[in-house]
Amino acid sequence: MKRGFLALLIIACTWAGWHREALLAFPGVLSAYSAKEYCSCRYVMAFPVEYCRAYVQQYLPLSTLRDEPSLHLVSATGLGRSNRAAWQGPREGCRLLP
Amino acid sequence: MGKAALLIIALSVLAWEGRAAEHWPDPDWASTSAPISPALQALEAYAFAPRDGHGREGVRTDALLVIHDGRIVYERYVAPTSAQTRHLTWSISKSVLATVLGVAYGQGRFNLQDPVARYYAPMQAHPMVRIEDLLHWASGLEWQEDYEYAPLNSSVVAMLYTRGRADMAAYAASGARAVAPGERFLYSSGDSNLLAAALRGMVGSDDYAWQALFQPLGITQATWERDARGTLVGSSYLYLSARDLARIGLLMLRDGRWQGQPLLPPEWVAFNRQPFTTASTAPGEATPGGHWWLNAAVAGRTRPWPDAPAETFAALGHWGQALYVLPAQKLVIVRYADDRDGRYQHNELLKRALAAFAGEQP
Repeated sequence: MKRGFLALLIIACTWAGWHREALLAFPGVLSAYSAKEYCSCRYVMAFPVEYCRAYVQQYLPLSTLRDEPSLHLVSATGLGRSNRAAWQGPREGCRLLP
Repeated sequence: MGKAALLIIALSVLAWEGRAAEHWPDPDWASTSAPISPALQALEAYAFAPRDGHGREGVRTDALLVIHDGRIVYERYVAPTSAQTRHLTWSISKSVLATVLGVAYGQGRFNLQDPVARYYAPMQAHPMVRIEDLLHWASGLEWQEDYEYAPLNSSVVAMLYTRGRADMAAYAASGARAVAPGERFLYSSGDSNLLAAALRGMVGSDDYAWQALFQPLGITQATWERDARGTLVGSSYLYLSARDLARIGLLMLRDGRWQGQPLLPPEWVAFNRQPFTTASTAPGEATPGGHWWLNAAVAGRTRPWPDAPAETFAALGHWGQALYVLPAQKLVIVRYADDRDGRYQHNELLKRALAAFAGEQP
C-alpha cells in the first residue's frame, strides 16, 4: 500500500517535472484569455457588455472581470492570477499588457 | 492594314465590354436578393437553427453572406453581429496573411525557396526552413495545436496567452525540430506567426497589410491585433466585416485580379490552391494548400466535402468561421459563427448553398 503510494508520488513528480513550465504558466490562461477576448469583444467587435460576459465564460469561473471603459482597459482575475488587456487603437485592437 | 486596325478596335471593345460586365464592390457591393425558394429555406434551417438561451450547443451562425459573380445575393446577420461588425476571423487570418504575402511576392520581395532566417533572425536556429515550408504548415518544428482537449500542453494557448504572448514568432522559433522541413504537414499557428515575422522583416513597415491589400480592395475597417513586439498575430487575430472578407474571396475567385489590375500574381494563387503533396489529413478534414484549405482529394481518399466541387477552396477559422470560394459557380460565401461544439459541417452548408444559389440538387 505504502509502496504503491510512493510509486504514484514519484510518477506524479516526474510528470510535473517534465511539464514544469507548462504547469507554472497554466493558471494564467484563464485570466489572460478572459481579459484579452473580453477587450476585443467590447472594443473591436463592439458587442454589448452582457453578450461579451457570456462570450468569454469558461467552465472555470473568474473571480473578477473589471472593465474601465474610459481607459479601454480590462482586468481579469482567476485561479489566483491576474491579467490585463488594453485597446490600442482601431487598427491594432486589444493586446495583453506585460 | 485597315482590316487589322478594325480587328484591334473590335477586340478592344469586346475586352472593355467584358470588363464592364464584371461586377466589383466599388465602393460598395451591388445587391440583388435571391427569391425565397425551398432550397433557400433549407439552407436557413441549417445555418440559423433556433439557439437555446443558455447552452452553446449546435450550429450558431452570426453572419451568412453569399456573393454571386461579384454581387450580393444573400445576406443575413444574427444580433449583435451586423453588416458593420468587424468579426473575429480566428484562423482565416492565416489565409489573409498569405494573401498579403502574395502582394509582397508580386513585388519581388522574396522567393518561396528563401530561408525564413533571411527575414527573421531567430530562425537561424532552423536554417533549413524555407518560406514555402511555413506556407504548407510543414516547418518540422514541434507543435501542439489542440487546445480543447490538451490545454496544458497546447502550444497555441501558451503562444497567445502565456509564455509566447510577448513575442509569438520567437516562441514558435524556440521549438525543437521534430522532422525535416517540408517533410510533413502539422497544422501550426506557430508557423503562421513565423510568416508574419518574416513578412515584417521583408517589408520593414507596420502598415504593409493595409497598403498592400486592404486599401486596394477598398477595405477601410480592418483590425489586426499584434503581440507586444508589434508583429501581427497572423495566426488568429484579424477582424473584418463579412462584406470586407468577401472582397478577399472575390480577389481569389478572380485569380488575384482586382478591377482589371493584377494584385496577386496568378502563379501565387495557383500555389495557394495546389495541394501540399505530402499532406496526410484526417478524413473529412480539408486538404492543406499554400496556407489555404482545399477540397482536393489526396491519396485515393474521397474529397473532404463530397457535395462540393473538387476545386472549392476556403479560409477556415475556429468556432466555425469560413470563407468559401467556388470558382465554377462564381460563388463566394462568408460564414461567421460562434459554434462551440463540433456539430457544424462545412459539407452540409455547402451542399445547401449550392442548391440555393447554383441550382444544384442536394
